[in-house]
Amino acid sequence: MMNNIFKPFGVLSNRNMLILIFVQIVLALIIWQLSGGGLIPGPGKVGARALQIINSRDFWDNFMSSLMLTLKGMSIALVLSLVISYLSLLPFFRPLAKFVIKCRYLTLTGLIFLFTFLTTDGSQLKLGLLLFGIVPFFVTSFLSIIDAIDKQEFELCTTMGMNRWRTLWEVIIVGRLDQVLEVMRQNFAIAWMMITMVEGLSMSEGGLGTMLIKSNKYIDLATVFSVLFIIFLIGVFFDYILGVLRHWLFPYTKLQIRKQ
Amino acid sequence: MTYQKNELILKAENVSLQYGDKVILRDINFELHNITRPEVTQGQVVSLIGRSGIGKTQLFKILAGLNQPTTGVVKIGVDMHKVQEGEVGVVSQNYILFNHRSIRQNLLIALERDKKNTDQQKKEIVDDYADKFNLKEHLDKYPMQLSGGQRQRVSILQQALTGNQFILLDEPFSGLDVLVIDKVVELLLKISTIHELSTLIVVSHDIENSLAISDTVFILANQPGKQGATITEKLDLIDMGFAWDPHIRENSQFQDLVKQMKFKI
Repeated sequence: MMNNIFKPFGVLSNRNMLILIFVQIVLALIIWQLSGGGLIPGPGKVGARALQIINSRDFWDNFMSSLMLTLKGMSIALVLSLVISYLSLLPFFRPLAKFVIKCRYLTLTGLIFLFTFLTTDGSQLKLGLLLFGIVPFFVTSFLSIIDAIDKQEFELCTTMGMNRWRTLWEVIIVGRLDQVLEVMRQNFAIAWMMITMVEGLSMSEGGLGTMLIKSNKYIDLATVFSVLFIIFLIGVFFDYILGVLRHWLFPYTKLQIRKQ
Repeated sequence: MTYQKNELILKAENVSLQYGDKVILRDINFELHNITRPEVTQGQVVSLIGRSGIGKTQLFKILAGLNQPTTGVVKIGVDMHKVQEGEVGVVSQNYILFNHRSIRQNLLIALERDKKNTDQQKKEIVDDYADKFNLKEHLDKYPMQLSGGQRQRVSILQQALTGNQFILLDEPFSGLDVLVIDKVVELLLKISTIHELSTLIVVSHDIENSLAISDTVFILANQPGKQGATITEKLDLIDMGFAWDPHIRENSQFQDLVKQMKFKI
């Protein structure tokens, strides 16, 4: 194991990789404990506070509020992004798709007023901002997947006598469905990161973002770090679940990944 | 050997290809006729041999109707109509298959145009062919689970099932070991005899293997002082007595011919 861990492209067994992860976590916690003090709470204090938070009813209400908003935002964003991406294959809609992917460079902060004006309540405002934040990233990822398709795959469809609509269905829609899930997995992180930001704009419905902002306001850093830690763990959990779901729904994807 | 050359089935007329000032292909002209033998279902195998980078793949795409030549035309069929994309099967060098479909589905999709057979009959056709071509045990696997040689077999069979009379194969012997090459040769000969009008066009730089399975060979090469590759020689292996012989590699005259060809490409 020791020979392999510093070798380029070294491959470790699952057991050795788990040991390595465990050792690195322990090391990080020790460094955190030793470098802490003053305002920064140590890992023990953060862990204890996290347990307290998880056991409170308030946390689960906030968690469900954030989760529901994220899932709703992700679902709508997914449908919108797929429609825009598939339509981009028709020349008429290509400028629209190009504009959407450039919207990644627009900052949300400057648009809050516009969205407040366009929406009727806090819930719609949060959803609108979330969608505006995620869709450009989704579309960018989908279009890069489409661009990377080998031209010969389209030629194969031609030799099978498929017309262009049938080719679009076979190569882009069905053939890349597994990658839609992978894009979802990658962009879930963006949605999860943004959720805390948009929740701060309308705090009446609660949410993990609201919890963070309130704790920040009272400089309750133990709670801030605990909520961050919980948000991080939930994100990692969903990342894992979406990865498992992808391999379960599309078993051939397992065969395309180099063993790390 | 009794055989007859009948009607014209493919004709390349003054085909040339140019990108800007660069001439890739120049004045390509050749014809293929339907060959018949008494009491034998006899398709044919034709090879286009040339060294790497000469423009074989470009000609391959023009013959398949996937690319248009700068000048000239490729005509196919008894009615000699201009080749359309989709009329000619293509087996690319890297054996492209639908990676999201199992081997069975990859083969069934090739039968989609077939309106005569029911779904059940199509499944039986796939099973039957998979059995003949030693692919039965792989039917439920995905392309990524197969070796290069197995993928190639699926790819060739897939194109054969589409019902296309012409199948073009780009470098079918490339990257395969000697034992697998023998199997490919056997497979190509089997495919060529599925139908009287089946025509395999092999584009390759592998002289010996191409000559061993072909009835006709065209050499694609450059001529001194002229830009762009063209057909410099045609070998009628049937007339020469080298066609349809599974042991032709052991023939010393055939080996002499292979040696001569090496200097011509």
